[in-house]
Amino acid sequence: MASSCSRALRHHACKSSRILRINLQNSWPNRSFALNSAADQQPAVSSLEEIVIPKKKTWSKEAVLQALASTVNRDPTASDYRFQDDPYLAPKTSLDFKLFSLSQESGINAAKYFINKYPNYFQKDYAHPHIPCLMPETLEAQIEEASEAALAERVQLRKVKAAVDLYDQLLQAGTSVSLDVTNELLELICFYGDRDPAQENVPEQRTEETPQEDVQDELQTRKGRGPRASDSLKTPWKENNNAERIFAHLSEPNTRSYSALIRGMVKYGAYAKAFSTYTDLLNHRLTADVHIFNALIAAAPEVQEKYNEKWELIVDLLKQMSEQKVKPNLLTFNAVLKALRRCGALGKSQAFPVISEMKALNIDPSLASYSHVLSIFYKIGAPVQGQKDILQEVMYEVSGTSFSPQDPDDAQFFITAMRICLDTKDIEQAYRVHELLGVGENWRLMGNDSKQNIYYARFFSLLCLMEQVDVVMKWYRDLIPSVYYPSSNVMTDLLRALDTDSRLDLIPQIWKDIKALGHGNRQKLVEDLLALMARETHSQQVQDSLADCALDIKSMYSTGDRGKVLMSWTAGSLSDIISVLLAAHRTSAAWETLKLFKTHNRVPSADLLNRFLTCVKESGDVDQAVELVKISAGFCLPDTHTLIHRIQQEFELSEQHKSILADLEIQTFNSD
Amino acid sequence: MGGARPLGTSSIFFSENKESSTSLSEDNEKRPEENEANAEVNNDGQKNTKINEGNNISNAMLTSQLETEPVVKLEDSKKFDKTKTGKESLLELLGAMKVEVTTIRKIRPPKFPRVSERPDPKPMESVQSMFQHATAEVSQQHETLIPTLVAAASAAASTLPNRRQAESELLQQLRKHEAIPDTQRRADGQNIGDIISDMKVGKKQNGRSNARPSSQIRFDEDGQGYTQDRGITGELDAVRTRKSPFTSKRLNIFNAGAEQDSLSDLGPTLWDIDLANQIVQATNQTPRNGFEEMIQWTKEGKLWQYPINNEAGLEDEASVPFHEHVFLEKHLDESFPRQGPVRHFMELVITGLAKNHHLTVQQKQEHIAWFRDYFQQKDNVLKEAEA
Repeated sequence: MASSCSRALRHHACKSSRILRINLQNSWPNRSFALNSAADQQPAVSSLEEIVIPKKKTWSKEAVLQALASTVNRDPTASDYRFQDDPYLAPKTSLDFKLFSLSQESGINAAKYFINKYPNYFQKDYAHPHIPCLMPETLEAQIEEASEAALAERVQLRKVKAAVDLYDQLLQAGTSVSLDVTNELLELICFYGDRDPAQENVPEQRTEETPQEDVQDELQTRKGRGPRASDSLKTPWKENNNAERIFAHLSEPNTRSYSALIRGMVKYGAYAKAFSTYTDLLNHRLTADVHIFNALIAAAPEVQEKYNEKWELIVDLLKQMSEQKVKPNLLTFNAVLKALRRCGALGKSQAFPVISEMKALNIDPSLASYSHVLSIFYKIGAPVQGQKDILQEVMYEVSGTSFSPQDPDDAQFFITAMRICLDTKDIEQAYRVHELLGVGENWRLMGNDSKQNIYYARFFSLLCLMEQVDVVMKWYRDLIPSVYYPSSNVMTDLLRALDTDSRLDLIPQIWKDIKALGHGNRQKLVEDLLALMARETHSQQVQDSLADCALDIKSMYSTGDRGKVLMSWTAGSLSDIISVLLAAHRTSAAWETLKLFKTHNRVPSADLLNRFLTCVKESGDVDQAVELVKISAGFCLPDTHTLIHRIQQEFELSEQHKSILADLEIQTFNSD
Repeated sequence: MGGARPLGTSSIFFSENKESSTSLSEDNEKRPEENEANAEVNNDGQKNTKINEGNNISNAMLTSQLETEPVVKLEDSKKFDKTKTGKESLLELLGAMKVEVTTIRKIRPPKFPRVSERPDPKPMESVQSMFQHATAEVSQQHETLIPTLVAAASAAASTLPNRRQAESELLQQLRKHEAIPDTQRRADGQNIGDIISDMKVGKKQNGRSNARPSSQIRFDEDGQGYTQDRGITGELDAVRTRKSPFTSKRLNIFNAGAEQDSLSDLGPTLWDIDLANQIVQATNQTPRNGFEEMIQWTKEGKLWQYPINNEAGLEDEASVPFHEHVFLEKHLDESFPRQGPVRHFMELVITGLAKNHHLTVQQKQEHIAWFRDYFQQKDNVLKEAEA
């Protein structure tokens, strides 16, 4: 009995595993099992005294590890797990982060390339039991003679050209190819747009492409586009290509053949052709499948001009689906919502009925659905008035839910939501968005590193804008630099937040971080910082630390990275440093800095020199005061004579000094 | 209590919403003057080298100077909670400030405590009554500027160098402010009281921006907070009972019952693999800790699986029935003697093997086979010993 029971279970498990797992992370199966067993044991108490054998618990093989992983929390002081192997290589700047993570990836790719390129050197199987994924893959076709099996093998290896050639050979030789294999061939051709796929893991080809791809990636994320769009831009669908030719030769194409062709056409931008192929399919009295409809809905905004025509076409397609008894899936509705983004005001009225329709059909909207809804209501660059409720409603709807990745657009949700929070200055919703990120496995849906960077940049800018500085600093310590490397703009935002809450005493600390983050040579940022430091006078202690900081900044100017001088002194930055030093009563350091005006051909303001003189007076150094006047005269400042008068009045001058001053006075008088 | 900051900035928040169109142009005209004025004020070293950049800072400066005033006032108003004058001047001063700092980039609404602290009903009450008080007062004084207000404005202006001009400007703005409708006024008043009590108070004005804090209460405190707040935030009922757009009507194209699952059993097609691939690319699959990395390796088949039951690592044996393990006599039948010490020895061996759960059936048979070979080799020795 037990064995039959377990066999039935095993059968069940096989069946469910056969369904393609889009949900890669099958999280916490054990919880549901616990519930099951409790429910099963209840009938045992009933009067019949029937023995109910509890269901066998089947645990996934990662169950133990998942339980262990759930005990580990993020350490805000540690860098990303990827970089923990070697503390020396812990990235300090965003550039380092990118470089290190890419280098790790490319190392893996290079190893794979060599293993697959020279499989004969990697035949020794050390592992017991055997580990298939560590062995070289066969990338070359093994079957040489022209047969259907050879064709199937080439399709399997995704060799488009070779497969098409072989198919032609077979036809010429009079061998018939079964419909299934032909359909697979059609799918292959349509998927790759009738050209051989760019070989993955081939370093030579990738080296030149990689930087471009990075740029494209960033552009895509910025525009909120999927990778599919750029693919289709690169390679348009060619008239009468192999796919169409093979399709035309088919005596009885079935739905799958049409599906392959239509999806390929949509993928490679032949939208009108896709619709005519669909009409052809209807004429052949076939019914379309859900993939055809998904593709056509995605293509609908491309073939119509007006908003209402687009929407009518989509509704028409949905009605045809219903007539043909095709069950829509999540991707169908996500395609509808995505199309609604391009339907102007119609989108706003129709988005929620679409969501209701999904719910009526027991299809749970994924994050991509909500992301599309948000994009419909909050257009980038459009005024945000009057639409505030939608984000709130969406957040009510999603908060506390753990989502699993189901749509490539799922990863857009968090950056879209955070963009809206930033646009509407809505810190409460921002917190809720961030809270949602912590639920379950939702963090995976934040997307790749560049998306994370955008998300955190928006979140942190909003915090700087809206929160008190203590809260901002709390988040700052939490996020930086363990998950986020802020750009210099974001650091400027932080400085503004400090400024608003008058917590300039934190500046030395922030400056250290700025240096560590590699922004120490951003002239704009450093000048802002200096202006902030010089603006007010503080308590002695703070002033001292600010002076240390100012000297540190000064050293950044003189020694650039690898001998390169990246920043140039301006009169403003020099006088800011001198102001800070003077306020901390570091006259000698200020004096040194003052000399830099001369060396860098900058002119100090009269105001600065006046203040300097006041400081000199406090120390009572007459020589320095006279020197100061000399410098002032050297710049031919119009205010030199005021300085001279001040010195004459406020200092006790020796004869020598008096004569020098008199000379200078005449000199300035002459130059005037 | 550090109420001065959020106080000032919250009023900025409102002014951005409703007055940006009207006051912005004027502010633009005023800006250079302000800058000049500030440059003079801050003769302790601030350099307005670049007008456009200095704007923010100088404005912030202006705010901070203006704010020194309300802090004092605030203390006063806290001391004599029921005196009107302190409150009013505070109120009006804030109204004036709001106009002054419209151009500042910083926008900071009142900070609401995020931790779920239970608001004390008593102070809540007093604040509430104070609001009504304040708003009632304000609504009476529409036409003229009250003297205390003028005094406050001139006090603020005195901190500026160009005091005559600043004062007249402030007063002008105050008069303008008088014209603002009563409802908005009330909202402002509530906002201020909000800060004073450092409590959560709902406000009604241009939709959600004010409804937000109250909705937060609803969520933070499991409903407890909002029942207490009901008296103050009665207008929130609208928010609470409003129908969510997510429950709106549906398209009514598909029948929920219609089941037509034409899932072909052909296995994943190229498109399905591509979809899965795209999802993997779009999502973050990097492990966050060692365990997650091990999970990843387990899935890829690179790692020994953590045992999840007693049969871990016995996959080969799963199909072997138990009697193959236990009843091993049949292996002795062929080539061992029927009786004698060898037979006796081998019976002991199979008893031991039957109880051994470490060996597979294959290994047990090999073990027996080894003895078979051994005894066959030693056949002559055995015969000599006549065993």
